[in-house]
Amino acid sequence: MDYPVSKPIYLVDDDPAVQRGVAALLVAAEYAVTVFDSGDALLACMDELDFQQAIVLADVCMPGIQGLELQARLVAERPGARVIVMTAHGDVPMAVRAMRGGAVDFLEKPFSAREVTTALDRAFAIVPAASPAPVTVSPVCAANYGRLTPREREVLGEMIEGNTSKLIARNLGLSPRTVEVHRQKIMQKMQARSFAELVRMAVDLDLSR
Amino acid sequence: MPDPDIPEIKRASLADDLLEALETPVLILDGNGALLRLNRAGEALTGYTLDEVTGRPIWEFLIADDEIETVRRQFLGCRAGNGPVNNTHFWIARDGRKRLMRCRHTAHRTDAGETGYVLVIATDITDQRVTEEKLTKSRSFLQSIIDASPVAVITINQEGIILSFSRQAEVTFGGKAEDVIGRNINILMPEPDRSRHDGYLGRYLETGEARIIGQARSLNAMRLNGEIFPAVLHVSEFQNGENIFVGFIEDVTDQRAAERQLSETQAQLHHTGRLGAMGEMATTIAHELNQPLTAASSLMGAAQLTLEKNTDERSARAIDLLEDSVSEIRRASDIIRQMRDFVRKRKTAPSLYDINQVVTEASTIALIGAEAEGISVTKNLQPDLPISMIDRIQIQQVVTNLIRNAIDAMTASAERHLTIATGYRDGMIEITVEDTGPGIDGAILPKLFEPFLTTKETGMGIGLSISKSIVDAHQGKLSAINKNTRGCIFTVSLPAGTRNGLSSQ
Ligand SMILES: Nc1ncnc2c1ncn2[C@@H]1O[C@H](COP(=O)(O)OP(=O)(O)O)[C@@H](O)[C@H]1O
Ligand SMILES: [Mg+2]
Repeated sequence: MDYPVSKPIYLVDDDPAVQRGVAALLVAAEYAVTVFDSGDALLACMDELDFQQAIVLADVCMPGIQGLELQARLVAERPGARVIVMTAHGDVPMAVRAMRGGAVDFLEKPFSAREVTTALDRAFAIVPAASPAPVTVSPVCAANYGRLTPREREVLGEMIEGNTSKLIARNLGLSPRTVEVHRQKIMQKMQARSFAELVRMAVDLDLSR
Repeated sequence: MPDPDIPEIKRASLADDLLEALETPVLILDGNGALLRLNRAGEALTGYTLDEVTGRPIWEFLIADDEIETVRRQFLGCRAGNGPVNNTHFWIARDGRKRLMRCRHTAHRTDAGETGYVLVIATDITDQRVTEEKLTKSRSFLQSIIDASPVAVITINQEGIILSFSRQAEVTFGGKAEDVIGRNINILMPEPDRSRHDGYLGRYLETGEARIIGQARSLNAMRLNGEIFPAVLHVSEFQNGENIFVGFIEDVTDQRAAERQLSETQAQLHHTGRLGAMGEMATTIAHELNQPLTAASSLMGAAQLTLEKNTDERSARAIDLLEDSVSEIRRASDIIRQMRDFVRKRKTAPSLYDINQVVTEASTIALIGAEAEGISVTKNLQPDLPISMIDRIQIQQVVTNLIRNAIDAMTASAERHLTIATGYRDGMIEITVEDTGPGIDGAILPKLFEPFLTTKETGMGIGLSISKSIVDAHQGKLSAINKNTRGCIFTVSLPAGTRNGLSSQ
């Protein structure tokens, strides 16, 4: 199980404490970590980096070049580069934008060891494509979506805008209780174990516009 | 010497003496108006000597052209036996000066019974008339001032009875002067003043203790239709045989409404400002706290993974504890997020706006009180700027922050001048706020836009960091430079006509 070299991670975060903590976590999980203070720092030595092998784990909110911009530049200049962005916990609109901008996944800060390793393993499973990978929607996911009622689809649309149940209730003219019920039904039918997973599915299904 | 003639002569000379001794001009005319006699006083007034004018009709030399006809008609109508005729007309003196004369004509019969002569006793009333005219003039002058006054003017006597009611009073109270003159002033007051006013007057007259005279007083007045309105009343008093009181009443309904609106707007503004600041602060705090929490949970994750290499029970127990710790950290992060979402309910709503208007609105608000602090303001807003896709409230918050900072910066400066400008350069709309303060402290300049950095005792140090994040979200730039001379310039550049970075693309 020791393939450190085969699992390189480029960690980009401006906060030294976060750098240290996340790097420690990744090392413990037996990834090979290279730390960058900023997006600019990473771009500066882009030619020496191997984006076919490595996964970029970048914070969205940094001074200088921001996570999303970094991601856009990388995806443009290194087609197939796999980027996971770190967003603030619950910042759904940001997560959605990152995913739409070509991130392979997002992690909500703070995260547990399992969340990181799951996300990273999933990302390593993606074969780096020479051209931007066409979004492949799992047939199960599409079928699940097909089972949602029109009302549930509306609620899902509102959820991935990052709206709270209260706001969704107001927007759709429902009671907050009803919205809660819809939310649970949606999670069940879509077989999503977390809200973040639901967001990933929604982005894959291209619902987020 | 015939004895009986003596009294005759004496009588004639007596009349003569009398005539000449009179200080009143007297003329004696024949039935056709020709002059027979002119006494000394007459000579003095007209400037003519008796010799010069004897035998000439007076209208030939003494009467003004436009009055000849009237005077002649009146003269000829003056017949003996019909009592004296009075009329008033001008005499033109020899030197051309006009005098206004009131003349009393009395016709006297000859012994034969015809009109023998007419005695004209004239009084010079020129000065008297001038005084009278002046008086009427000043009276109507006063009246016209009162009527032109935007304030209602009402006079009352000491019983409170309305004596006069100006035109504005008619407008203010909604009634005609003739309908209120003679009525008690208390019909223009609501209770409790209405029933107490007679008492107020009585007490004043008795004690001389003025409660309202000579000072402006805010109170409620009542229109004739019963509507109560806020007014400012000023009362003066004068003596004219009895005590007369003059009241100047200004209807301040609109003023009050404007004041109320202003203070409401201000309150709302402070509230919005505070909320906005809280919202942004919550966002900043959420971010700042989330970082160490992330570090902590990651470190725990690292510990967990490290421990997993052991298979003993204690390590398993430690892993569980760490797992619990991580979920507690997640809970803390949740609370922070909820707090942030709660304070910051407002969704960004970018739309196309005219930057000049947005800047004008923001500066109106931000500049409240600036003048009182001795700050002069120049606005150079470039007309015909392209419109821009912005969140109006957020950009106004940025402008407000910059202006407030500029005002703060100039408190200790001798020269206090603020320049707010807009312009267009390289596809970007620029808003600049320039001051004449001490400039930005060199020590903080490199970290100017970082949160919680302040040089002010009561500062929070989040204004600029919020502003920066707002401008960044608009895909714009916020920059600051110190001028070579005193002060600094903050520049906000916003892309013209593009969408807010936070909205869907
Ligand atoms: N116009 C200015 N002139 C000089 N210094 C300024 C100016 N604007 C901001 N600063 C400096 O930047 C600091 C941070 O400003 P800000 O973020 O708005 O927070 P605060 O106003 O609460 O201090 C201020 O404390 C001040 O030292
Ligand atoms: Mg400030």
